[in-house]
Amino acid sequence: MAGERVMVIGSGPAGLSATKELTNMGFNVILVERESYLGGTPKKLKYSLLFPELRPATEVIDPLVKSVQESKNVKFYMESIVEGAKEEGNGFVVNIKDKTGKVTSEKVNAIIAASGFEHFDSRRKYEYGYGIVPNIYQISDIERMLSENKLVTTKGTPPKRVAILLCVGSRDATVGNTYCSRVCCAVSVKQAMEIKERIPDAVVHIYYMDIRTYGLMEDKLYWKSQLEYRVGYIRGRISEFMRGPNDTVIIKGEDTMNLNRALVVPYDMVILANGMEVGLGSKQVAKALGLQFEEHGFIRPSDPDRLPVQSTRKGIFLAGALTGPKTISDSITEGYAAAMKAYEYVTKGIWDESSFGKAVEVVKH
Amino acid sequence: MFMGKKMATRSVLELPDDPRFMDMAYEEQGAVSEEERNLSSLKPEDRETAVKFWQAVKSDFRFDEYLRGCLNCGVCTSGCPAAKFYDFGPREMIQYMMRDEADKIWEFVNKKVWACVQCYTCSMRCPFNNEIAGLIMVLREYSVQFALESAKEILAPYRRVLYTVMTMGNQVTPDMIQPEAFPDWGPQAVEESKNMDVYRKSIPVDLMQRTDIGWHPSLQTAVEMMTIMFESGVMDSIKKVDPDLYDMIEDIYQDRKSQLEEIKEKWEKHELNENELPDSWLDL
Ligand SMILES: Cc1cc2nc3c(=O)[nH]c(=O)nc-3n(C[C@H](O)[C@H](O)[C@H](O)COP(=O)(O)OP(=O)(O)OC[C@H]3O[C@@H](n4cnc5c(N)ncnc54)[C@H](O)[C@@H]3O)c2cc1C
Ligand code: SF4
Ligand code: SF4
Ligand code: SF4
Repeated sequence: MAGERVMVIGSGPAGLSATKELTNMGFNVILVERESYLGGTPKKLKYSLLFPELRPATEVIDPLVKSVQESKNVKFYMESIVEGAKEEGNGFVVNIKDKTGKVTSEKVNAIIAASGFEHFDSRRKYEYGYGIVPNIYQISDIERMLSENKLVTTKGTPPKRVAILLCVGSRDATVGNTYCSRVCCAVSVKQAMEIKERIPDAVVHIYYMDIRTYGLMEDKLYWKSQLEYRVGYIRGRISEFMRGPNDTVIIKGEDTMNLNRALVVPYDMVILANGMEVGLGSKQVAKALGLQFEEHGFIRPSDPDRLPVQSTRKGIFLAGALTGPKTISDSITEGYAAAMKAYEYVTKGIWDESSFGKAVEVVKH
Repeated sequence: MFMGKKMATRSVLELPDDPRFMDMAYEEQGAVSEEERNLSSLKPEDRETAVKFWQAVKSDFRFDEYLRGCLNCGVCTSGCPAAKFYDFGPREMIQYMMRDEADKIWEFVNKKVWACVQCYTCSMRCPFNNEIAGLIMVLREYSVQFALESAKEILAPYRRVLYTVMTMGNQVTPDMIQPEAFPDWGPQAVEESKNMDVYRKSIPVDLMQRTDIGWHPSLQTAVEMMTIMFESGVMDSIKKVDPDLYDMIEDIYQDRKSQLEEIKEKWEKHELNENELPDSWLDL
């Protein structure tokens, strides 16, 4: 069985976990990563504590990175992307291009795409003034501010009044994203608690339409934030932000629990819970590998219920947030699943077919 | 989307708001549609019109396209300039529509619907892509068609505007810009407005230099324009809310039509020279 090779594209939680499992099973892995470091988005944005257990992100990601880095069976292509995969024999020949433009070919038996997601850029919601009005941040900016212990306003002092607005760039037809990003409620509640932990006398308000701390996160996050931290929840979506005196931010919203009650309230700092999108990285991978997109722009598995980690092209598997918004533990689990599926495919030739999405619609008149 | 069945308003049993009585009511009269269930707060004489009104709105071809759903997010109301000054909000209306609340819609069209300034901010921002300002327009159109008191009241000060639009094709003429119509003017503006005539005459481009008219349609254009107003049903709506105005416009229409016919006849019989043709109905 020696010599079987699987290519993994992306080294976030999903790609790392797939790589680790494959090497454990005795395979060689060719790991292609666009950035110069391993660890994916959690590393890129310097995540602080992870929900729901409120433990440092490094505690989860670093052991994964370490075991992959130390493995003798992984060949790394850092700061590189794939450029196309041609079927050859019982596998693919893949071209890999590094940042100097040098192209190398690798022969592999199967491919796992784990190129993840990107954050919604809140500048696309122009009425929110992100990037123009000072002291407006995104949850993706705040993680770094928290982990580097630099949570201050433009005045250099810790904020005393903070508003967090949920669903920015998600559940919003005006920007074309009608899905829920799934993690941003939990991230926001977690950040609210982290802020209160550091600045106990700060007022923190979360503006929400629904709180989606689903499953076991309900009491670990939503209840706890109220019981222990007195985080305030106001039902309504803020419609616009204005620059107030002294670099404060004035929000305009409707308290939808009180009919027609308009809210115009000042804060020191506003945090936008920007959602997840498939991003250019995964689009590039999909294009290079000839994968299909589902209706929201994420990568389409061949069967979302029965074969969630199998792509629409034979021999290529999927893991992590490139198929839709996910948590880190979901992504790690999918890494395991994709590794197992790739192992079955390479050693036994198993490839399941599905009728999903292929049924011909019969039009009755 | 919603049931569009015809209904005669039957009286819904009115019982104390207590679950035990509710059970009895359900046993007594079976399933009652939302529209019917929600009528008890209205005066008995209004109930039938309220339901007819709501059904007319719901069966309008635009309704299902404009109303898509609602996240109850309040983005529409919080950006609404009218909501800032009146007890009014677009989310409120969308919720009544989503819940089929005929009585609340009735209350809404009898007052609040006229608070909107049609700025379309709500429509542009709604994350569910509802055409909110368009739905308000639909409610207003039906208020006029149903000749609701609120529509009559709101249109009364616009009589002169309606008249000029229907007969001349433009809304306002310079002489309508008068202090009575603009209570917020300061003394300077009031003073200036007295000399409108002179100012108008001194404008160095061809603007007809008069104050009683802003545009100069030819007789043929005027007749065509009025024909459109009649044929498209606009005049029918006016007839219901302001019959006197209707009669007045109708007279003018008939006059102009026969004038035009007369000219055409003479022209065909070669009884008119080209230079004798009128430029417009103003010269007649
Ligand atoms: C602000 C925020 C906070 C979060 N906090 C938590 C949390 O506390 N707990 C939790 O469980 N989840 C959290 N999440 C979710 C978590 O980030 C994701 O579930 C996870 O990162 C997905 O892992 P992934 O491996 O699929 O993708 P990613 O982490 O995005 O990794 C993808 C990798 O692929 C690489 N790549 C992309 N394109 C290419 C390409 N074309 N070629 C080569 N390589 C490429 C990228 O550089 C990256 O290294 C959070 C999300 C957000 C938005
Ligand atoms: S997870 Fe919460 S904040 Fe994120 S899109 Fe869903 S409801 Fe909105
Ligand atoms: S169109 Fe009307 S309802 Fe909508 S925001 Fe403007 S004033 Fe408000
Ligand atoms: S903006 Fe749209 S979705 Fe939000 S409350 Fe108004 S109608 Fe409902």
